[in-house]
Amino acid sequence: MNFSVLTSQFWPLLINGLAVGLIYVLISLGYTMVYGVLRLINFANSEIFMVGTFATVIVTRDIFKYTSAHEALHGFRLIATLLLILLASMLFSGVTAVLVEIVAYRRLRSKGTNRLASLISAIGTSIMISEAVRILTKSAPVPTPRLLNKFFLFTIGSVKIRIDTFLVIISAALIFFMVDRFVTKTLLGKAIRAVSMSEETSKLMGVNLNRVISATFLIGGLVTGAAAFLYMQVYETTVFNVGFNLGLAAFTAAVLGGIGNIRGAFYGGLTLGLFEQFASAVIGGQWKSVTVFTVLVLVLLFKPNGLFGEAIQQSRV
Amino acid sequence: MAERILELKNLTMQFGGVKALDNVNFHVNRGEICALIGPNGAGKTTVFNVVTGVYKPTSGEIDFKGKSLLGLKRNKITETGVARTFQNVRLFGDMTALENVMTATDVHKKSGLVGALFGSPRARREEKAGRARAHELLEFMGIDHRADQLGKNLPYGDQRRLEIARALGTEPEIVLLDEPAAGFNPAEKVALADTIRKIRDAGYTVLLIEHDMSLIMGISDRVSVLDFGKKIADDIPSVVQNDPKVIEAYLGVPSDAS
Amino acid sequence: MINLRDKGAQLWEGWNRPKRVTFAVIAVAIVGLLPFGGDFSFTSILNTPVSSYQSVLVYPVGMFVLMALGLNIVVGKSGLLDLGYVAFFAIGAYTAGVLGIHTHLNTWEILPIGMGMAMIAGVLLGLPTLRLRGDYLAIVTLGFGEIVRIVALNTQSIGASTGIPSIPTPPKTFGLKFDIVHNNSYFWVVLILILLVIWMIRRFTVRRPGRAWEAIRQDEDVAILMGVPILRYKVWSFSIGAAIGGAAGVIFASKTQYVAPNMFTFNVSVLILSCVVFGGMGNIWGVIVGGVILAYLPERIRFISNARQLVFGIALVVIMNVRPDGLLPRKKREKLGAVKEAKEVPNG
Ligand SMILES: Nc1ncnc2c1ncn2[C@@H]1O[C@H](COP(=O)(O)OP(=O)(O)O)[C@@H](O)[C@H]1O
Ligand SMILES: [Mg+2]
Repeated sequence: MNFSVLTSQFWPLLINGLAVGLIYVLISLGYTMVYGVLRLINFANSEIFMVGTFATVIVTRDIFKYTSAHEALHGFRLIATLLLILLASMLFSGVTAVLVEIVAYRRLRSKGTNRLASLISAIGTSIMISEAVRILTKSAPVPTPRLLNKFFLFTIGSVKIRIDTFLVIISAALIFFMVDRFVTKTLLGKAIRAVSMSEETSKLMGVNLNRVISATFLIGGLVTGAAAFLYMQVYETTVFNVGFNLGLAAFTAAVLGGIGNIRGAFYGGLTLGLFEQFASAVIGGQWKSVTVFTVLVLVLLFKPNGLFGEAIQQSRV
Repeated sequence: MAERILELKNLTMQFGGVKALDNVNFHVNRGEICALIGPNGAGKTTVFNVVTGVYKPTSGEIDFKGKSLLGLKRNKITETGVARTFQNVRLFGDMTALENVMTATDVHKKSGLVGALFGSPRARREEKAGRARAHELLEFMGIDHRADQLGKNLPYGDQRRLEIARALGTEPEIVLLDEPAAGFNPAEKVALADTIRKIRDAGYTVLLIEHDMSLIMGISDRVSVLDFGKKIADDIPSVVQNDPKVIEAYLGVPSDAS
Repeated sequence: MINLRDKGAQLWEGWNRPKRVTFAVIAVAIVGLLPFGGDFSFTSILNTPVSSYQSVLVYPVGMFVLMALGLNIVVGKSGLLDLGYVAFFAIGAYTAGVLGIHTHLNTWEILPIGMGMAMIAGVLLGLPTLRLRGDYLAIVTLGFGEIVRIVALNTQSIGASTGIPSIPTPPKTFGLKFDIVHNNSYFWVVLILILLVIWMIRRFTVRRPGRAWEAIRQDEDVAILMGVPILRYKVWSFSIGAAIGGAAGVIFASKTQYVAPNMFTFNVSVLILSCVVFGGMGNIWGVIVGGVILAYLPERIRFISNARQLVFGIALVVIMNVRPDGLLPRKKREKLGAVKEAKEVPNG
């Protein structure tokens, strides 16, 4: 235990916590939005994230043909390339998410079978995706070529902020606010919220349930794909089970914020990211996932509706 | 004065913006058949839900046999003597009719897992007693010949009867019946009215939600009327029947028709 | 295949007690003699290419069946999705490792302790999470399975990543020796445990606990309104399942004489869950058949073993969507003639 790092390393921990937290925020949207409409945990969301990280690698390496020996890009070319890779990753994850919904949930939903079947089907889908990738990559970690020259952008307090950290913080915050606006302002967003509040009423109001659910998965997938892209800009390596711990953390963030609650996910992700950074600094990085898990159980135990959220709908008899 | 076995005091139940129950005062006397009526969405089922602990009321008190039910766990509420049926039949479909009732008769059993494992004398005794009691209740509801059929395979009417048998299986003092005659034909309704009377005569108190007026008027000792979450009438059937407020609530317009 | 299950039940119900006992004794004897099944030329097809057939019968086959039966109480009987079952297996195995190395207790004395430890872990994890909706339980158990592994990986006193080597084998018991060349002894021990578990489940099923679990599985909101103390029964189900996982862990550790964190990954939980789902959730015989098939086939046909997890993932999805009851569906305890008899009585 080393508490002195909390003060000596305060600024770097804060900045890293923000960056990690914002990545959690984006992934947790995939959980929270799907939970809102289906009242089911999207177990495959971690794999949707994993697919996004591989999409980043594939597009960078195999489509743009960059190698790790390549010189860093600059100016407009850099921005345009990064944007294209971002869009591609989002697309891959988005499409995966829509497919997951069709494979794992749709048929069972139309049959109206119990939740257990849906849960098992979703976990099966998740295993299917990650195992397919494991076999294809022979379990080996896969690096992505670096496009950014990772220089220090500026200094806040005592901490130098690197360009990739800056990129993550700004883009993730931007994407979150776009999603939030989308859900509150557009027609589709309103339909999603209507279904979240009451499936039956929204059906009566003429909402096409399957379309709305697909759209929710798509949006959740797009956002998770964006998170994957940002993650890869910082960590630069992925592996078939990269989604496991991140998925659990993002889910914890969603629960912290009150699952089903989009703004809650924002606060939940940030809180968890910061807490995790400071806690691992004190007790050691190898305990990170243990810390996250403990937070999850404690929240479920004492504040099952989240720290920031409204009550989850009560069961109805 | 009859003993008030169940009493709701200033009860309010709010769902978001909807006040499903709005400051309701309401009671049931021991040994009577009390009917709870009102248009769809009036809050009748919500009364059952707050009494049985499914929802925690926003404010107000619920007393059963003079003691508050608030804060009790749902299974404890059942243990103290409140049992119910459901508006949309909710049997254990993959259990036989007998097992459905036996699940309820298990409430007051003392033996647990260890007894079950080693077949302790008490476990055997209780198992036997529960089985006998379950058959008795199925017999009482006229469906003992269905004992070994799965809940989901019973004809609709028998499913409703089985729900009542299951509720009685918990040995309640009051049974809450939520639209037990829904979907019944006139002959079946008459039979059901008899059964409900029999239930009362067997010593249970009955609180009944029903839409069929002739059934209500025929068997109820007292009728309470809810409309938009508010209680608008509470009296013997013949008085309630002619109450202009009640007629208005049902027809939506002031009227002198009966 | 539904018929297979019903035919079996029909036959069994038609028999009197002596007939049933004879059948059971013969069946157990045949299973008990299985280890010798690879010894003859015409049965040598049973032999597995890498590990010896006798060893495969103990692990994975016997062990998977035992654990699948334990998980079946949780998933199949009570409808609680436990995705971290490996945690209890690991706790049992590590208990055997630590106590085997540091104390003079032998495997049989450690067995109840390992089960107890697993059970305590089950209660501690279950109490906060079993109150919540089923999907929270699923994800919390998923995390728990991983956490137990990470804790083992990072705790020096239990060997961190190298684990615990030289765990003692069980002592010679009733003339049976337990070591690498005596796999059959382990097989018989696992078989006895399996029989005990079957006996226990059958006892529970026909009495109050079985009804409570069944009610919880079908509709827990109604179950609690009918007076079933659902939390208590969920915790029981969860911790009994955990204890069985712990027992499997103890035996496993005493057979491999070595435990390490990488033996206890999420994959194990998935394998066991697949056995339960594939065979038929809630049906003991289905689960046993599922366990035997899923454990044995990948050993016999090596080329599936790399893609084993992938196949199981696909199988979980397909089974849930197409045949959620699995190979042998759960009991349809409608007695024969119940329907016919009923038709003659008019609705009243
Ligand atoms: N769980 C719930 N969430 C939101 N609204 C509810 C809930 N339960 C009941 N309501 C509302 O409360 C009102 C009364 O419902 P209910 O008690 O079912 O009426 P009824 O008299 O037909 O049984 C209705 O407007 C209904 O929509
Ligand atoms: Mg109603």
